[in-house]
Amino acid sequence: MDSLSSVLLALLVVGHLVLAGADVGLGMLMPHVARGTEQRRRVVAAIAPYFLASEVWLVAAVGVLAGMFPVLEHHAVTELWPVLAALLAGWLVRDAGLWLRARVDGDRWRLACDGAIVAGSWTLAAAWGLTVAGLLTDGLTASPFTVLCAVTVMALFALRGAAFGSERLVGSADSGGAEPECADVVARDTRVLARAALCAAVPAGASAALPGGPVLAAVPVAVVLTTVLLVALAATSGLAGPMLSRHTSAAAIAVPGLLVALAAHLPSAPIPSTVTVLVWAVLVPVVPVMFVGQVWLYRMTRRPAAVPTFFA
Amino acid sequence: MFEDPLLLARLQFALTAATHYMFVALTLGLAPYVLTTQLVAALRGDRSRTTAVRFWGGLYLVNYGMGVLSGLVMELQLALNWSGLHEVFGYTFAAPLALETMTAFFVESTFLGLWIFGWDRMGRWAHLACFAVVTATAYASAWWVLVSNGFLRNPVGFEMVDGTAHLTDPAALMTNPAAVTAFGHIVTGALLVGALVIAATSAYHLIRRDDEHRVFRRGIRYAALVMCVMPMPVAGFGGVQFGLFGQDPPTSGLTRTAAEIEAVEAANPGGPLLNTANTTGEVVMVLAWSLMLLVGPAMLLAWPFGGLDRWRWFLAPLLAAPVLPYAASIAGWVFRETNRQPWVVVHHLTTAEAVTPMSPGTAAASFGFFTAAFAVLAAVTYWLLVRYARRGPGGGPLAEHRTERPDDPGEPGGPREPATPVHTF
Repeated sequence: MDSLSSVLLALLVVGHLVLAGADVGLGMLMPHVARGTEQRRRVVAAIAPYFLASEVWLVAAVGVLAGMFPVLEHHAVTELWPVLAALLAGWLVRDAGLWLRARVDGDRWRLACDGAIVAGSWTLAAAWGLTVAGLLTDGLTASPFTVLCAVTVMALFALRGAAFGSERLVGSADSGGAEPECADVVARDTRVLARAALCAAVPAGASAALPGGPVLAAVPVAVVLTTVLLVALAATSGLAGPMLSRHTSAAAIAVPGLLVALAAHLPSAPIPSTVTVLVWAVLVPVVPVMFVGQVWLYRMTRRPAAVPTFFA
Repeated sequence: MFEDPLLLARLQFALTAATHYMFVALTLGLAPYVLTTQLVAALRGDRSRTTAVRFWGGLYLVNYGMGVLSGLVMELQLALNWSGLHEVFGYTFAAPLALETMTAFFVESTFLGLWIFGWDRMGRWAHLACFAVVTATAYASAWWVLVSNGFLRNPVGFEMVDGTAHLTDPAALMTNPAAVTAFGHIVTGALLVGALVIAATSAYHLIRRDDEHRVFRRGIRYAALVMCVMPMPVAGFGGVQFGLFGQDPPTSGLTRTAAEIEAVEAANPGGPLLNTANTTGEVVMVLAWSLMLLVGPAMLLAWPFGGLDRWRWFLAPLLAAPVLPYAASIAGWVFRETNRQPWVVVHHLTTAEAVTPMSPGTAAASFGFFTAAFAVLAAVTYWLLVRYARRGPGGGPLAEHRTERPDDPGEPGGPREPATPVHTF
């Protein structure tokens, strides 16, 4: 049962990276992608339906961490307190921007909220990068690996956002002839970002041997996962471009989560069986509802809303 | 005082929890009303009630946004600043929170997204079902959080294994009297918050004779009924808890002997700040409740004479009425939580042992940022709530976009057809 609970935690973290990576990444790219009020509204309208359903994965992961893996949680908190506080701050600022953006009809207000979304998205991605690095190196170290790992993760977030945007932003009826369409901009970005991620991931892998590098429990697994990452990035950085990026970006951003889950040296303790039974007995009947909600939301909002909604 | 990380962490948590609860109370108080209105609207195909759902639902969402923001900070802050609590009581205190995040919040947020984006995209029964799930999970969320909080007050159902509390009796955890009575108290109290917010909003529009959809006549009648029925159960569930305060928890003695417990309590007498907060909490709570007790019967007396719709002098004081349940809620939490000091888990763990070791600098930075951010966000949210409440059904965030508007592509908010084939993700 303990391994099943570990799978649950890993699933929630990886699910968060894959799903929230899309809307966080698009938030990071917003200043580059969207010019003008209407384009910015469209970018936020692309993000909005999903952030509600993707951030809950991280909330659930924190809950499982606290309730079933207190030793691991204690380890993460003591080693990474400032990084996690920054992650929380970025999350708060970003969500505040999203919730409040459409509430007041004024350019300055929207600009402030857009600023909050962009700043929050970058902070979230950077904090995730440092968290992954810190968990792999068993405590945050000032080393080339930490920097390169954080940069790689940020590039993966941006790539995921670009892949998401290149499909979600298509169909702007009002971007006007000469102006480049947002979807085209991000579609071109997928290749650039994949190359950038590759340029950070290769030296990150190489710097793993230097002092301050990762302390791994399962080196072969780490090698396999890193290879998967490099192949996914290479596929996107070449000719295939945005066509495949939906899948390659998802695979790529899942790798940091899987690396931590499968290869990192993390403290663990056997979970008392009563807790396992309680959690699973309550959770299992609700899983279909969770699943239906997620799938339904993603399917229903595939097409952008014709009129402005609650968020944008 | 900014040199003491423990005090900062405690103050930060108190502010976060109080802010969070103000928005939670309205969420819990409004949800059943929105759900019932939507149910009647779906049954009758009634446009005026649909307008009401869009109006109250808009207020619900603005309020919910801040509830989520503060809830996220609260949950992560609990993990970040109180790692000692998780280290010892993770399996008992945090297990209900894990269930809350997955079985309640996860579902609630997803289905709220479906409800927001489902207007005009799904059938009315499916749309109603989404809000039913949102309401149910909002209450489930409150339940799990109170199971967790009740454990701190009255720790039950665990044994100590190598310095860590292991759950032995989940049933005792979930039927903990400190949790069950608190849940009853919170639910009935939240309905008072919802009723008086609805009453104040309705009074504002009825005073102006501005009620073309009959949204506010129905609102104020609902408020009158709730204010007649609910104050007594609030006091009942609250009064039972006074009995718990003096008792030792059944697990007393598992970690510390009676002598050690006495020594800890003698060494931490509380101090003037804590005692003042505790007494003020109790006084404000009881005073506000006594005033609220009068509101319902007064409204009931005015009802047969048409006073609920017409008497401006009667409606005007209702504009200020939401202050009462909010004051009572916050004061109630202050009273409950300060009552537990110096313990975080009564007779087992002190707050000083539970706090994460932090340098004064980082503690002050985190306290400064989150306090400032919360002050701004809460102020903005209340400003928005008042603004939307005053605008009425025509100007809410969920107000219907009229399709008969001339098709002007330059106009923001005008109908916009996706011209090119839409790619999906």
